[in-house]
This record gives sequence, C-alpha cells and structure tokens, in this order.
Amino acid sequence: MSEVPRASAETSPDSPWAVAAAAFTRWRDGDAEGLNDLVRVLSPVLWQVVRATGLDRERAEDVVQTTWIALVDHADSISSPQAIAAWLCTSARREAWRAGRLANRERPVEDEILAHGLPDHDSPEEQVILDDEAALVRECLDRLPERCQKLLRIVAAGPRPNYTDVANTLGMPVGSIGPTRGRCLDKLRHELTLAGGIR
Amino acid sequence: MTEKTGAPQSDDELLDAVAKLWERLDPPPADLADGVLARLAVQDLEYELLTLVESDEALAGVRSATMLRAPDETGTWSLEYLGPGFRVQLRISRRGRQARLDGWVSPPQPMTVMLSSVLRKGGVLEAQVSDSGRFEFPVAPAGACRMTFVTESGGRPQATPPFWI
Repeated sequence: MSEVPRASAETSPDSPWAVAAAAFTRWRDGDAEGLNDLVRVLSPVLWQVVRATGLDRERAEDVVQTTWIALVDHADSISSPQAIAAWLCTSARREAWRAGRLANRERPVEDEILAHGLPDHDSPEEQVILDDEAALVRECLDRLPERCQKLLRIVAAGPRPNYTDVANTLGMPVGSIGPTRGRCLDKLRHELTLAGGIR
Repeated sequence: MTEKTGAPQSDDELLDAVAKLWERLDPPPADLADGVLARLAVQDLEYELLTLVESDEALAGVRSATMLRAPDETGTWSLEYLGPGFRVQLRISRRGRQARLDGWVSPPQPMTVMLSSVLRKGGVLEAQVSDSGRFEFPVAPAGACRMTFVTESGGRPQATPPFWI
C-alpha cells in the first residue's frame, strides 16, 4: 500500500506512528501488551479516518473494531512495523466505504440527503469550545464548498491516504483527486490569509 | 497562536490543522479502545490459548521463533507451549520456502492436531498424536500459523497464539 506517514511526524520518536511501530514489534515478538498499546494509540486515529468517510458514530465504532480483528488475522502480511499505521488506516477506510455503501442501500433517499448535510444528533461537535486557532480554521473551512470540506477531512486523517481510496470514498475519478486536493488547499490557504493567518 | 503573519501555510501544515480541528470537533467515544480490546478478547475465546513458555533461538542464530520470517530464511527453531495438563514442544525446520514441523506432546495422549495458516483461511492440515506423543507435518505452510489441539474427550480446543513459520 502506498501510504506514507507525514515526514515531519515520522522523524519524531513519540509520534503515534513511531509508538505504534514499536508496539507492533513487541506484539509480533510475543508480548500481548504490545497489541493493547497499539489499540490504544491507533484507535483514535482510525476513528478519524472512518468518520471522515461520513459514516455515523455507531457504524464507525463497529468498523474500527472490525479493522482490528482483520489486523490480528492478517498480521503476517504487514511488511514492516513502520507500515502498521498505514495498513490499519487503509483497511479502515476501505471497510468504512463498504459499510457506508451498505448503509446507504438501507436508508431512504431523503434520509441520505439529510444525513450528509447535517451533523449527527449524538455528535458532540456543536458543544465543543475551540481555541482561537481551531476556531479560525473551522470558520475558514466552512467557507469552502462542501466537497472540499469532505475531501480535506479525508486527506487530513491518519497518514496521508492514497488517492484511490479517497476517490472511492468520494465517488470521484482517481486522476482528479490530486488537482482537487491542491485547489481545496489553496482555497483554505486563501481564506486563512484573508482572516489573518494561523500562527 | 493567532499572530497575524499572513504567511502561506504548507500543504502538510494545513492538513495538520484540519486534522487537529476534527480531533476536537469529533472525538471518539471514551471507551473506543476498551470496546476494541473486549471484541478481540471474545474473538480469542473460541479456543483456549496455550502459553508460550520457551522459544529457543540457539539453533537459529539471531531471530526469535515468534518473529516474521524472510521468505527464503533457512534454519531450525523450537517453541514450547504449556496447556492444561500437557506440554507441547515444536521444532520448525525451514529451508527456503520448504518448511517442516515436528511436535511432541507430553505426557502423550490421543489428540488431533490442526495446523492452520492465519492468513489463508481454509487450508487446515491435520495430524494425530502417536502413542509416544509425537506428531509431524512434513510440509508446513509458511507465514503466520496457529496450531489447535483437540482431545478425544471433547472440551474447548487448545490453540497456540499465532507463530511464524
């Protein structure tokens, strides 16, 4: 799989990716605690990856669990400890995509349209108090087209995903992801500059 | 944090800021990891796990027997597991892509031994424990495997954690 953890985070020994790689190595060497640590470090990351695809919270939790079961069954197909985060995030994204398609089939069309536009009832996002920087980013993101908002959330979660997965999740041609991602980032950068910039 | 530099952000900085925002807006349920661990524990309850008590690297050189193998690795490894009422020793001999597995159960007792690849579902090899406690798999699958022991008296099967051949 062609995901690459972001360069800046990879170099830091306490980045989640480095901690995960060490925990995976311990587990593979027979230490059951290694798996526990791996689950605790990467489950919140998988949550973001899965939620970014638009899946509701209940289904997202289920997909996160399924992803870990798949890991235990497929541990020997992972080429190196450094690949563990990317492997998990890619599996989670694909599983979420599958679960999302199933859910859409079960749901009447009107519900689907509503569900896409509105935050979940049980989502805490409306009650969260943000620091200045996060509030600014949110304000600027809100001014972007919805498609850009979705795409940026997907691309931002976990190690940077490959374009095939993003294309599948958004139902866009693979070739258009790179340019669209660039345009969306440019729009966000422009909004942030207008608003005074972060940092 | 809100110093107005107006400097253009790099793509990665922007994406990090977006990721951070969503971590705040949409945090996972507090018991997410606990739920995962509980589900994994249930998954393992289908069989009782044997405990790895010894893994001998003397014959193999540097690598431990529970580690991932290179596809063409050559050598001999041994593992020992402890179950309720019996002990099992395994010796894995590997030459290139060919692997062989010999086992001893002590005290000897009639059991069926199943060797299954964790990755490739369906491919299960079977052997019987002899009167002297021996069993063998002359051609063993490569990769992560798990061995399951079923006694004639029934009861929950005993299985090893995955080990690498």
